[in-house]
Amino acid sequence: MFARLLWNLLRASRARLAVALVALISGAAVISALVNLDLDVERKLTQEFRTLGANIVVAPAYALAGSGASPMSPALMDESVVQTIEAMRTPAVIAVAPYLYVVARASVENSDLPVVVAGTWLDGIRRLEPAWKVTPGWIGSREERNLCLVGRNVARQLGLAPGKEIELRYAGNSIVETVAAVLEAGGPEDNQIFVNLPEAQGLLGSDKRIGLIQLSVEGSANQIESFANRLGQALPSLEVRPIRQIADAEGLLLDRIRLLIFTMVLLILVLTALCVLATMAALAMERREDVGLMKALGGSISRIVGLFLAEVGVLGAAGGLLGYLAGIALSRWIGERVFGAAITPRLDVLPLTVALTVGVALAGAMPLRLLGKVRPAVILRGD
Amino acid sequence: MFARLVAESFARNPRRKLLTAAALVLGMAAATATLTVALDVGDRLAREFRSFGANLLVEPQSDTLPLEFGGVDYRPVDQGAFLSETDLGWLKTIFWRHNIVGFTPFLYLPGQMTIEHRGGKLSQVTLIGTWHQHAVPVPDGSTFTTGLSATHPWWKIRGQWFSDGKDSCVVGAALAAREGISIGEVLELHGSSSALSLPVTGIVSTGQEEDQAVLIPLSLAQDLTGQRGRFRQLYVSALTKPEDASSQKDPATMTPIEYDRWFCSPYISSISHQIQQVLPGTDVRPIRRVAETEGRILTRVGALLWLVTLAALVAAGLAVAATSATTVLERRVEVGLMKALGATNGLVAALFLAEQLMLAVAGGGIGFLLGLGLARAFGESIFGVPSAPRVILLPVILALAALVALTGSLVPLRRASHFQPAPILRGE
Repeated sequence: MFARLLWNLLRASRARLAVALVALISGAAVISALVNLDLDVERKLTQEFRTLGANIVVAPAYALAGSGASPMSPALMDESVVQTIEAMRTPAVIAVAPYLYVVARASVENSDLPVVVAGTWLDGIRRLEPAWKVTPGWIGSREERNLCLVGRNVARQLGLAPGKEIELRYAGNSIVETVAAVLEAGGPEDNQIFVNLPEAQGLLGSDKRIGLIQLSVEGSANQIESFANRLGQALPSLEVRPIRQIADAEGLLLDRIRLLIFTMVLLILVLTALCVLATMAALAMERREDVGLMKALGGSISRIVGLFLAEVGVLGAAGGLLGYLAGIALSRWIGERVFGAAITPRLDVLPLTVALTVGVALAGAMPLRLLGKVRPAVILRGD
Repeated sequence: MFARLVAESFARNPRRKLLTAAALVLGMAAATATLTVALDVGDRLAREFRSFGANLLVEPQSDTLPLEFGGVDYRPVDQGAFLSETDLGWLKTIFWRHNIVGFTPFLYLPGQMTIEHRGGKLSQVTLIGTWHQHAVPVPDGSTFTTGLSATHPWWKIRGQWFSDGKDSCVVGAALAAREGISIGEVLELHGSSSALSLPVTGIVSTGQEEDQAVLIPLSLAQDLTGQRGRFRQLYVSALTKPEDASSQKDPATMTPIEYDRWFCSPYISSISHQIQQVLPGTDVRPIRRVAETEGRILTRVGALLWLVTLAALVAAGLAVAATSATTVLERRVEVGLMKALGATNGLVAALFLAEQLMLAVAGGGIGFLLGLGLARAFGESIFGVPSAPRVILLPVILALAALVALTGSLVPLRRASHFQPAPILRGE
């Protein structure tokens, strides 16, 4: 009987309910889209921050006394450290690259200059340093051993252009490299030449040795710190240091941005609730006559109010569910517009959205309390 | 007559107007707050980004290549070109001078040191001459205080920084740990042309190569090398706007109008161009890691915020429209009565719209004031600085309030125009 009454009620005022449902759906869509976005935005932004370059450096412990290291001839470590790090690699590690620095003499035709030569994985630094401008383009494979990248100042000083050859000499060793591209970093790298690691090792005459390893790791400052700690435990003889500039400032900025978006979302939540509230209030007003009739026919107040609450609840649940689906589409669209990548839909937003929508719908039905005061005679007379 | 009808309606039944008015106030307050924050956020975030430090690097267009890795130039001091310290005040005279947050000169020199009263032998060390907080005279007569505190804010110091011109030094954390140097000890530093004894006032940790070096005031470093008034590198921290399509073009190929627009926008490229104009013979480059990241994040957060603001505006509009619709519907009986007394549909609509308009102006105005307060609180809690009120938003908000209030009542009014007075008055 209750179910049938409910069904009839829902059917009889289709038009009015449709309006309320649209309000609920749009409200729920906005809520679920923004909550989804808010949960994903930090991850998306930490990815963006990786254009800052390496944030963890692994190097031989300089502080060890008697290592004989000086700024011009830094201590070296074994190349196998890279394998140890690769073995500990998690999905948060964006890039790993070993570096070996040599101060060599570079000669092209008749100019000859001392220059810093960095040996690394030429195909790997692309992921480590996405902010660099490389013309005409990055090197795709480290198999072509004789290719090199030259910094913009080096290119200008030596008159280098892609395709030209350059000879590098150090302590009796010499290598010849072909310039593949010119890089612009806005830092010391503009004064360096990047060659493949084995070439630099050959130049220095130190097989299988490297100077340092740079890592680009995604995540919050704490996650990076804890990854650095784990690396430190696995490599006790080496110094593992997170680059502070990046970690600190990044954390601060992320907090601000998240707070900003969260505040906005909260505001929209309140507005959406207001909108639904108004619609539900209008619905309750319209119901006065029905209530008068029911009361005149002997319906109890609790039963009548129960009936309307059930009606509103069904409406809220349906609105929440449909709104969740619309919200996922909305957040996908926003993700694509803003980040160029879809936001991952999260299932745990669904119960939240439905609960919120039902809650707001029921709150909107508060004016129904007034129905208890309805006196059938007055209403039916049409006052 | 019309005015009296509207006035009567307000005077007789103020409670009915309350719901719409409340929705208008709340909705417009939210709209004001989000718009104020959204308009402010670019500037605020750009300022926050300065915690990443400098975003521009100025070097002499030198004849030799700096032998630099890990942040330290290992060239002998007598090689290569230098920049002149006396020119630095000109940086605060460029078009975008207020966007120059700070700048710090650096002079690197290889040196040797011993710790006094320990009697050890001389060890190799890199000395870095720089400013922590230095008052730079600006050609317009004022001074500008800048240094590491502005361009390298993430450097952490235990103890105290050297004060400008005082005989003291700061030791890198790794070096201090290796040599067992503590605050208060005296270092004897030897440069290429002279030597100095300086007390250690602090231990600095930067996470980079400076951890291995001794930092001293720039003037002392210049004395040690005999390079008076000169330095190698200048780090500049400037507030910039993300690059866009129009800023990517080469200034030489721009039309005069494009050039003016580019010059008068704080793009990193136009600021570097202006710095180059006041410091001739230099090479000014954006530090791409910082500049690129800043540009990307600012563009993304900006776009995200505008979308969210749009959502807030739509939500506010819907809320107001929904309440307006409710109030009109509620007054069906009144409409019926008016029609029965001979009012035309046009008159009824005009009456209702006039009421809504008055509500919109009042509600929008109050909402605007409330929203300014809200925006202040948001700015305070998010960025630590209250957002400045923008009076220019007032007409926008009032227009928005009028628009949504009127649109909200249009649909129910259309329905009201189909009302037959008789059934309504009968109560059906």
